Amino acid sequence: MERVQKYTKPARVFHWIHSGAFLLLVITGLFLFIPALGFLAVDSWSRVIHRVAAVIFVLAPLIEILANRKTSWETIKSVFKWGADDLEWAKAMPRYYFFCDESSMPPQEEMNTGQKLWFFLLLIFSPIFVITGILMWFFKYSLPSAVFQWSVFVHDVAFIVIFAMFLVHIYLGVIHPLMRKHGGSFSSMVDGTVTADYAKSHHGKWYQKVTKS
Amino acid sequence: MADKAILYDSSKCTACRGCQVACKQWWGLEADKTEFWGTYENPRDLSADTWVKIRFNEISNGNGGVDWIFTRQSCMHCTDAACVRVCPTKALYYYPLGFVAYDKDLCSGCGYCVEFCPFDVPRAKGNDITGIRKIDKCRFCIDRITNDLEPSCVKTCPTDALIFGDRDELVAIGKQRVQELKATYPDAYLYGEKELGGLHVMYVLTQSPEVHGLPVDPQVPATAIAWQDVIQPLGYAAIGLVVAGLGLNYLVARANANKEAEVKAKVKAKE
Amino acid sequence: MTSHFNDVANSDCIMAIGTNCAENHPAAFHHIMKAKGRGAKLINVDPRYTRTTAVADLYVPLRSGTDITFIGGMIKYVIDDIEKNPDNYNLIYVTEYTNATFLVNPDYKGPAELDGVFSGWDATKKSYNKATWTYQLDENGIPRRDKTLKDPNCVFQLLKKQFARYDVDRVNKITGTPKDLFLEVCKLFSATGKPGKAGNLLYAMGATQHTYGAQNIRAYAVLQLLLGNMGIAGGGIQALRGEHNVQGSTDMALLAHILPGYLPVFSNTDKTLQDYLNRVTPKWADTRSLNWWSNTPKYIVSLLKAWYGDAATKDNDFGFNYLPKVTGNANSKHSHIALFEAMYQGIIKGFLCIGQNPAVGGPNSVLERDALHKLDWLVCVDLWETETASFWKRPGVNPADVKTEVFVLPAACHYEKEGTVTNSGRWVQWRYKGANSPGDAKPDLDIIYELGLKVKEVYQAGGPNADAITNLTWDYGHPPTADAVLREINGYDLTTGKLVNNFTALKDDGTTSCGEWVYSGCYNETGNFTQRRELDDGPYNIGLFSKWAWCWPLNRRIVYNRASVDLNGEPWDKEHPVIWWKEGKWTGDVPDGGAKPMAEGGSYAFIMCPDGHAHIFGGNVAPRTAGLADGPFPEHYEPWESPVQNMMSGTQTNPALLAGASAAEQKGTADKYPYVATTYRVVEHWQSGAMTRHLPWLCELMPEMFIEISEELANELGIKNVDKVIVESARGNIEAKALVTKRFKPFQIDGKVVHEIGMPWHWGYAGIAKGDSANVLTPHVGDANTMIPEYKAFLVNLRKA
Repeated sequence: MERVQKYTKPARVFHWIHSGAFLLLVITGLFLFIPALGFLAVDSWSRVIHRVAAVIFVLAPLIEILANRKTSWETIKSVFKWGADDLEWAKAMPRYYFFCDESSMPPQEEMNTGQKLWFFLLLIFSPIFVITGILMWFFKYSLPSAVFQWSVFVHDVAFIVIFAMFLVHIYLGVIHPLMRKHGGSFSSMVDGTVTADYAKSHHGKWYQKVTKS
Repeated sequence: MADKAILYDSSKCTACRGCQVACKQWWGLEADKTEFWGTYENPRDLSADTWVKIRFNEISNGNGGVDWIFTRQSCMHCTDAACVRVCPTKALYYYPLGFVAYDKDLCSGCGYCVEFCPFDVPRAKGNDITGIRKIDKCRFCIDRITNDLEPSCVKTCPTDALIFGDRDELVAIGKQRVQELKATYPDAYLYGEKELGGLHVMYVLTQSPEVHGLPVDPQVPATAIAWQDVIQPLGYAAIGLVVAGLGLNYLVARANANKEAEVKAKVKAKE
Repeated sequence: MTSHFNDVANSDCIMAIGTNCAENHPAAFHHIMKAKGRGAKLINVDPRYTRTTAVADLYVPLRSGTDITFIGGMIKYVIDDIEKNPDNYNLIYVTEYTNATFLVNPDYKGPAELDGVFSGWDATKKSYNKATWTYQLDENGIPRRDKTLKDPNCVFQLLKKQFARYDVDRVNKITGTPKDLFLEVCKLFSATGKPGKAGNLLYAMGATQHTYGAQNIRAYAVLQLLLGNMGIAGGGIQALRGEHNVQGSTDMALLAHILPGYLPVFSNTDKTLQDYLNRVTPKWADTRSLNWWSNTPKYIVSLLKAWYGDAATKDNDFGFNYLPKVTGNANSKHSHIALFEAMYQGIIKGFLCIGQNPAVGGPNSVLERDALHKLDWLVCVDLWETETASFWKRPGVNPADVKTEVFVLPAACHYEKEGTVTNSGRWVQWRYKGANSPGDAKPDLDIIYELGLKVKEVYQAGGPNADAITNLTWDYGHPPTADAVLREINGYDLTTGKLVNNFTALKDDGTTSCGEWVYSGCYNETGNFTQRRELDDGPYNIGLFSKWAWCWPLNRRIVYNRASVDLNGEPWDKEHPVIWWKEGKWTGDVPDGGAKPMAEGGSYAFIMCPDGHAHIFGGNVAPRTAGLADGPFPEHYEPWESPVQNMMSGTQTNPALLAGASAAEQKGTADKYPYVATTYRVVEHWQSGAMTRHLPWLCELMPEMFIEISEELANELGIKNVDKVIVESARGNIEAKALVTKRFKPFQIDGKVVHEIGMPWHWGYAGIAKGDSANVLTPHVGDANTMIPEYKAFLVNLRKA
């Protein structure tokens, strides 16, 4: 079966570093969010990990963007372009994901609407995390307590939204039957390739562009 | 067992600061580095090593004279304590005798208590960059009172401005004292009788709470309630719904994927 | 204290004047709060609003140094009120227990007539010839009296004449106290003149540290006697001592003018013991007066026997010549100021400085620190290296320039040794050792004892007056024990070797010994009473606690208590009896004198006065009771440095005040130093800060020296809170941060504004918390009687640094 290169090595490395940091942030953050897990936060070590991971979480994309300014900017721009195609995706989504009816879904770009939505939310909420995190980390004593209090609250809300989307991301990445067909999507983050069938089926528009050139 | 409490009568306080030193002596706390900043009051703020202090305030009274107002500053041991609500590790917890106890070994150093306390009491000590730190606050001399002794600040107080006992008795004493004081101090008030469900450290004030530097009608911050009582359950609900939704989707999708495969196979077989 | 701390709870009205007792006696203040809890009123008189004022019922401002005017005004008020409303006062008390009725020598004249001085002032000698300060005696040598108090020469009328000038207007002009406030104080406090009401008077250094400090206390005595407040529960005059054993040190006579037990030192005019006894032993013709000091021979002989044992015999006048003889006035020659002047002049070569830090605590610090440079050797016995011990390396001094050999002997603190301490209430309480001293630190007893042994050894080879030293018994054990010392203090019957019961067993024939007669009875064959800790309050529940430790004299908790009963022995206040004559004996406290009630022929109430009556007129009555150096009545004078002309008389300052030799060259005047300054203490630090400024918890509370300035003066001089300021007097200058406060307010003195500033005196160049010393500013002048320095009122200039 022919395979198509979807993601470069740097992109994959970045993904794992960033999601690794994200996982650490989620887990150590959960220690403080879920009372039953609180005992794991004793003596501050989980909070140290949270901060180290937070630095990585912020630095990794910064480095990634700076290293690939053109493509990064293109990708970011595309995430903010919403139009008729996305509406089509939305209409096809229930049939596609519940009834596995591949024919119901119009050909998608490199990032389908769902992935675009995930990226979009990340772009919006990551800064929210980071800013509220920085306020909580560095401005405890220089700003009124209300700032910290609201930061905790907003950090929590952002966490719930992103964590929910994160679960969807993993589910769709490796669990959903459709995504495991045609060789599956997980390989795209392992060796960077997907099968041609997969590419044709899930990112038709992109496959056409890629194979043409 | 009846709730215990401390009653601080600011009209009897002479601001000797014996309480400040007795607390440090009993708990082996370090001295803070201080400098003169224009008043007898020192240290300037509570800290992880200063759990109680007296505030000094000179105010002009009506007759061209002055009143020197002294106010204790320390953990108020609320019945509805914001710190207990927000503490992730249960290092801060309600002791059966009513006060807010603290187990330092469990502290994660997150500092939520520091930021959510309506009286701005708990303080952290450690490294704010790495986050490795512990907080501290008045512990109500738990080891003393569980051995039939008074808290050390109470024991030291030479004027009985601090007394310790059953909370309802102290409420009665405090109310009577306020009545006596009203003749000379019409704004006299028993602070902590009802605030935050009732405080276990109550103050007899000669002036209104604002003059003493105390919050009027203190509340658990709305964000703490929003966080603990709204967002957290909503968050669980939301994530639960998502997981349930994904699970449902999996079952349905898998069934349909199988059906499709069956149909395809049948078609192929027919061919 | 004439009473004791617990008794203050019995008071109905307490005047705290010349004391900041909530600040400096916090533990004792507990009892004042108890009194307030019972409804007592606390009047606080102070130039500045203090932490005591914060819990007082009445705050009364007065300019530093004008206490006699204030109290004198109260005395005038009471005298006038006694005449208008005699039923509100205890006139039996006044006429029977005080010398108010006694007739005085008609040649006696007071300041009202002599423009500020009393009769007999000798301007060249700078002292009084007290020949006119005497009673009129009848043919039997008994004072003539007028029980109607009308005779113009009776003490009451002379008192009235003395204080006639102290009317409310003049009081206001001189003290700056508002008139209505002053009258309120008079009303409140004079109400305690009624039998059954108790007025208490608390004082400390604010009263004594003036050039007329002793007269300040005399003024309290006069007032309290008029009000019948001496000797009753909740009454009296309470000296709040500044250290937990300074009462003990006074009793043991660590002073220039007395020997242990308040016996006068020997003078060079005494050629024999009998000369001395003639000079100091009062005789009294009226046998109804117990005249307790007539027992002086027993006490001095027993003292000499205690110190010299078998080397003190009838043949050598019991060792009379072993003791040094003072030339002239002991205090003016040998008290602190005089000693440091002598040191400064190079006369004193060596200095044994034990538990003292004069480099910070003594007046005129610059002079006193420079004086230390003149010593050949200095030994400091203390817990830390104090400013005195480190004078040779203080800022501005090159140690290579200092020739003095300095020794520091580390001493044990009070919890590291056993022995008694005597508190303000005369309670002698035994303490046990609680911890071991660090390193080589030793108790003072061990240090002094070993030193004494070495000195004795050296003098075996001879030396000036060698046998005065070699013949000392000096035997307190190896190692020495406080027990042995206390037993010597109690005294022995030398014929049996047993401890005497108390001082009534002492004799003047050499068969008894006693280290301090007033303490005799504290440790006899029954046991060491100072170790008792029983909580039995006694039959009348006035907080007597007679079985807690032991108090002098004879465990009498409230002295002058014979005045707490009427002539039949019935208490004036039956709800708070101190003693009560029932079925032929006294119940309650140990009675003063033990004799029957006066109605049954018993002796007069005030046994320590030769005439048996309390002295409203402090006259020249008998040997050792010749009146104070500066007058038989208190009279207002301005402090040695003052911005105000004396408005009471033409005599500006106390003519009899004692000044150091250098003082006159360093006297400031108001043109250069316009502001009144005073010094005081804060609860967080103690005395010269030798201990407290080494303790982190205390340095945290009060880290730096500061100057308290009124908002008005600060405004005038452009000084803001925390600004650095320089305070300067004729003696020197210091720099510190300003504390601008509402608690000091300018005084209106006869239409002029007089500013007063104040500062704590705890700081010095040693310790964790360092700062400039207030005493750089204070003068080398002192009280006419004691020479206690005038720390409380002097002149300074102030400016932003």
